[in-house]
Amino acid sequence: MLHRSHIYGVMGEFSSPEELIHAVEKVREAGYRRVNAYSPFPVEGLSEALGLKRNMVPLICLIGGLTGGLGGFFFQYWVAVIAYPLNIAGRPLNSWPAFIPVTFELTILGAALSAVLGMLALNKLPQPHHPVFNVPRFTHASSDRFFVCIEAKDPKFHIAESARLLQELHAHHITEVSDD
Amino acid sequence: MAAQEYRAPESIGRLQQRALFVGGVALLVSLLGVMRTPGLFYQSYLMSFMLICGLTLGSLGLLMLQHLTSGQWGIIIRRSLESATRTIPLLAAFFLPIALFGMHHLYSAWLDPEEVKKEPLSDFQQRYLTAGGFYMRAVIYFAIWLLLMYLFNRWSEEQDANREDRALRRRFKMFAGPGIILYVFAMSFAAIDWVMSLSPHWASTIYGFLFVAGQLISSMAFMIAIVVLLARTEPFASVLQKRHLHDLGKLLLAFVMLWAYFDFSQLLIIWSGNQPEEISFYRTRLYGGWGVVAVIVLVFHFFVPFFLLLSQDVKRNAKVLPKIALWLIFMRLVDLFWMTRPEFTSQAAPTWLDIVLPLALGGLWLGFFAFHLKQHPLLPLGDPKLEEAIEHHEH
Repeated sequence: MLHRSHIYGVMGEFSSPEELIHAVEKVREAGYRRVNAYSPFPVEGLSEALGLKRNMVPLICLIGGLTGGLGGFFFQYWVAVIAYPLNIAGRPLNSWPAFIPVTFELTILGAALSAVLGMLALNKLPQPHHPVFNVPRFTHASSDRFFVCIEAKDPKFHIAESARLLQELHAHHITEVSDD
Repeated sequence: MAAQEYRAPESIGRLQQRALFVGGVALLVSLLGVMRTPGLFYQSYLMSFMLICGLTLGSLGLLMLQHLTSGQWGIIIRRSLESATRTIPLLAAFFLPIALFGMHHLYSAWLDPEEVKKEPLSDFQQRYLTAGGFYMRAVIYFAIWLLLMYLFNRWSEEQDANREDRALRRRFKMFAGPGIILYVFAMSFAAIDWVMSLSPHWASTIYGFLFVAGQLISSMAFMIAIVVLLARTEPFASVLQKRHLHDLGKLLLAFVMLWAYFDFSQLLIIWSGNQPEEISFYRTRLYGGWGVVAVIVLVFHFFVPFFLLLSQDVKRNAKVLPKIALWLIFMRLVDLFWMTRPEFTSQAAPTWLDIVLPLALGGLWLGFFAFHLKQHPLLPLGDPKLEEAIEHHEH
């Protein structure tokens, strides 16, 4: 149990997206749940293979958009009807068609900002360092290699057995990932 | 898989028979209306005709758009789009009653010298809005649409036979761009002639685009309904996937937003300008009974479909998405009712002809569409992207 404190996980390297998906599926079949995959480009079907649940970003985005829109509209309403009521060419004080462009823009602003910030927050970004960068070959994850990492937090994790599983899946350069 | 023919299933033949039957019966019933209340008949007829225009010409626009962008969504619906464009001759036949008999009931504001004396037109309008000009321009519009229909359908047939013809692929792309411009120009002028001239003293420069955007909604909604219907049986059942519906649903959402954007732009500009000759359009349409119809259009043509279509699950659902699509086609009719009828009456109530005539023209149109759909394989066999478009990714 002692090694768990400074081991982040075991990492294996694959050379094609097909092998990556196959490996992830097998690792999950073996009962591991704390598994992550790294790829230089989006791989179709990888999220399903990893069993990633749908995240909260759409909901955060919707709430941000509605807040922006309602805020934008009622701020104008407050200015034009309550705070500074002015008669402009005989139009009603609540001249709502004139409020729509700003309402629309603020809906977009609220939705876009909350989507980006929500995505960053859910990804725990910005994060200056991550243990996987301790593996020198990991730089290839931005160019031409695909990585699977079985994390030490997984209850089934056992350094030798997890490494053997990756070996059975024909991973290259199986490495321990240290945690510091 | 290689020798697949993708012939239309029997259900399309049954659809053709039933649609023609309903359309024929409704047309006979509506003839009562011509004899008893010709004015009301042509008002309903114009509204129904503009709906059918949307299904047909919107498909012409989408067909060229998919050649230009070559997205996979387009390959799934391309044959249905082509079949819809091949009903343009029928559309021209549907136009004849308006041109031959209905004009005096509809366009008296510029056709009847007495009316023109009461509310004079500008010099340009007097020269432009004449029966002769109306006919001549209609001939030009239909000539443009028929030419585009002919070219894109013929090349598509040629492509089925020569898969490797690269010159043909380039030709599709080269003609699709200018074709879209021609379609939008012709449709803008047609919307001015056929609908905006109902009230010649009012003008809006975005008017044609309202119709183009509405036509894209009608056509995309119809395409969603038809691919889901086709997917009930083989061969389409193993072709259509959730990702296709997702793409078509996204485009439907985009067109609903485009339409709302154009419609609102017109209101915003007229509201801001506040000119007596411009606000007449909304004075008649935003108050009283027509105001209720305006709210119905706003809520059920925009807000409800917009929020439903935002959801990814709804767009990928083969049961819910076609229902929203059919609902939008119905709302197109309500919108056309709101666009045309207030020029004739302050009573915002549909007549029996407003039910019978859309059924008549819609039924006949659907029958002809089904007939054309049976003539060719359901997928463009010569399209270089076909395999990619129908392969299954799901593990």
